[in-house]
Amino acid sequence: MDFESPEVMKDFPGLYVSDTNKKGNNDSDYSDDVDRVTKKDLLMGKRKDKKDKKDKERGYAALEGESSPDESCDAKSPSKTKKSKSFKFSSKSKEKREKSRDKDATIDNKKKDKEKKSDKKSDRDKKTEKKERKVKYADDCPDIADKLPIFGVSLDLAIERSRCHDGIDIPYPVRACINYLQTFGYNFEGVYKVTGSKSKAIQIKKMFNNRELVNLNDYDVPTVTSLLKLYLRDMPDSILTNELSIRFEEAGAILNIGTREKHLKILVENLPFQNKLLLSWLLLHFDYIICNERLNKTSIQNLVTTMSPVLHAIVKPYVPPLTSASELPLETELIEEELRKQESLLSQIHMEIHSGFISKSREELMWEVQRIITQLKRTYKNVQKDKDQLSEKSNDDKVVQPATDSEEKATTTEKGEFEESKSLEENNTMEIPAEVVANTASEPQQSEIKEEVQPRPQLRDIDESDEFTSLNNAITLLQVKNNSLLQLKEKLRKAIETEKNEIHILSKQVKAITEPTSYNVCNIGGTSTNLDEIMDLLSKENQILQIKKINLVRYIMEQQEICIDIKARLHLIGLETLK
Amino acid sequence: MAQCGGVRVHQNQFIMSKKPTVQPALHKVIMVGSGGVGKSALTLQFMYDEFVEDYEPTKADSYRKKILLDGEDVQIDILDTAGQEDYAAIRDHYFRSGEGFLCIFSITEDESFQATQEFREQILRVKNDENIPFLLVGNKCDLEDKRKVSFQEASERARQWGVPYVETSAKTREHVDKVFFDLMREIRARKMEENKANNGRGKDRKKKSIKSFLFCYKH
Repeated sequence: MDFESPEVMKDFPGLYVSDTNKKGNNDSDYSDDVDRVTKKDLLMGKRKDKKDKKDKERGYAALEGESSPDESCDAKSPSKTKKSKSFKFSSKSKEKREKSRDKDATIDNKKKDKEKKSDKKSDRDKKTEKKERKVKYADDCPDIADKLPIFGVSLDLAIERSRCHDGIDIPYPVRACINYLQTFGYNFEGVYKVTGSKSKAIQIKKMFNNRELVNLNDYDVPTVTSLLKLYLRDMPDSILTNELSIRFEEAGAILNIGTREKHLKILVENLPFQNKLLLSWLLLHFDYIICNERLNKTSIQNLVTTMSPVLHAIVKPYVPPLTSASELPLETELIEEELRKQESLLSQIHMEIHSGFISKSREELMWEVQRIITQLKRTYKNVQKDKDQLSEKSNDDKVVQPATDSEEKATTTEKGEFEESKSLEENNTMEIPAEVVANTASEPQQSEIKEEVQPRPQLRDIDESDEFTSLNNAITLLQVKNNSLLQLKEKLRKAIETEKNEIHILSKQVKAITEPTSYNVCNIGGTSTNLDEIMDLLSKENQILQIKKINLVRYIMEQQEICIDIKARLHLIGLETLK
Repeated sequence: MAQCGGVRVHQNQFIMSKKPTVQPALHKVIMVGSGGVGKSALTLQFMYDEFVEDYEPTKADSYRKKILLDGEDVQIDILDTAGQEDYAAIRDHYFRSGEGFLCIFSITEDESFQATQEFREQILRVKNDENIPFLLVGNKCDLEDKRKVSFQEASERARQWGVPYVETSAKTREHVDKVFFDLMREIRARKMEENKANNGRGKDRKKKSIKSFLFCYKH
């Protein structure tokens, strides 16, 4: 544990106290330890690891024997605690729960609970229970694992929900695993390679999710490595982030080691802080494992091979975009996925071209990818059309809609303001467009009637006016929207103008500058390879920034559209209330 | 391939023996013009004989079709660009690789006709070539009653530019094939000229070194 050990000891008092305690216990009695594990195994119907466990525990004992027998009275069975799951504590906040182990009252309650239950258990269980000083808390409220899980959520959430309270923002389960493996894993033969019990790993995961206190020392090295893999595999987003993972792959494929390293460094710098932190901890840990290859027989190749399933889950298994020769998918989801890939590839090509890397083959590729995209879009549309034809009724309705729309518009104006306002009063719904859609989509028959209504208005007077109101409202809404969109367009056009001017000015400046510098470059000459590399780096960096920019711009546009939508609705509501 | 100066027929045979199927000549055509003038409609009519009524702004679309041009098998690559200014940056990239341009406006919309001037300038700026194969196309000629741009006016502009002017209707398919075929003939003629002009190819060597340098970006 050369790695952060003093701090860590401080940071996880609970963990380490129990660790050392247990170790002490191990010293005195292995079989107890084994029994304890077995009990848990019994619950899960598994006892396979018994022997391994024993060996392992012995190993720990030899490593750091230190006993604190006075605490043994606090012995608790993890399985027990789980069962004794007391709703009493369910109201406690997470932090409280975490600290609750310091509270004697709580412990006493638990103990009582446990002892009551243990009476019913077998003798052996009883025996273990006494000796066990493993601290596990069952103060989980039944829902927390479901509502606020730690596994399988984004890194931010995982950190928020299982913070390491020393300011190092790594999800606690990962931290605990790394801590454990730094201590016991480094000399374990085939660490990471030997797979642990899956069900145990899942059980520990549940315990983490339940905010139970987990003592990893109860488990063997393979189980803990499995747990760590499980956590990483469960992460919804790649640790390298979905946006950058492709770039990482690209950078990883660069042959020149120096360039590759530089590219990777830039990419790492672009990772969100938390991802960077987690990555650095994992890599330091892996490095430590590899450094002890002599003891654990795990070379870097071994580690890479054995971790590859997990790492592939981190960096999603990568299927490169199809080339035109290969068959394009026909299912909507596959098309969507492929379309996304192709579009990302295309934007990358555009960016490369934009930054001046123009070559025949690149342009060729640009056309080709564009063609695939077009083809994909066409197939997608056709597939959608086919789907629509299945639900033919609603489709027919949509065709009918625009015609009736204009017709009715005409009639409403004829009927005059009076009836309009009257019908407005009758219809107070705020969600006008939704209503229109609902009317058209779910009641095809009614809209057919709507068409027939025109020639004989007396029969369907009320219905008609209702339709008028909603359509009228929809029209005003669209008008308002249209206005604000036009305004937005004007604004954007002006912005574009100013940008253009800016570009003009800048390009003039560039022209003025490039002439003298080209002279300079000639002088330097020898360091041109160096400059090429810098160029590489800068262009990569620029590309990343470009992507970010494009995403932001897109986001802003979306938000603006939403704003307009809301404004239009507000406007309409305002009109209605006035009337 | 070093000795490619002399007899063209001979060279062709050489390729034939190597590859059973000769790659047909490929002509790259780009559709430009303001939004809503019917670039996509013309393209789709030419490609698939279909007329799409509903308007959906294009970002960029690309198509390839095998056709018989004056008895010769050729492939045409059509790039349908965005009329909207939003995609102007991407447009530049395509313009650079285009070999011929159909500059389209709607005869029912004067603004779109005025815009052709700007497109022409942009193309000339990117291609840096006054004689680039180029056709001025007045679309929607089926809507004669809504005409805003007279035939004379458009022909005059085309004459100034030294390009042909054709009126089309994507709806009725009038002159749709004509514009594409005319343009392809121009491109073909242009390529022949160029082939004659630079028979000694020293350029490719230089490009290759750049390519290999760039290769690390590809995956």
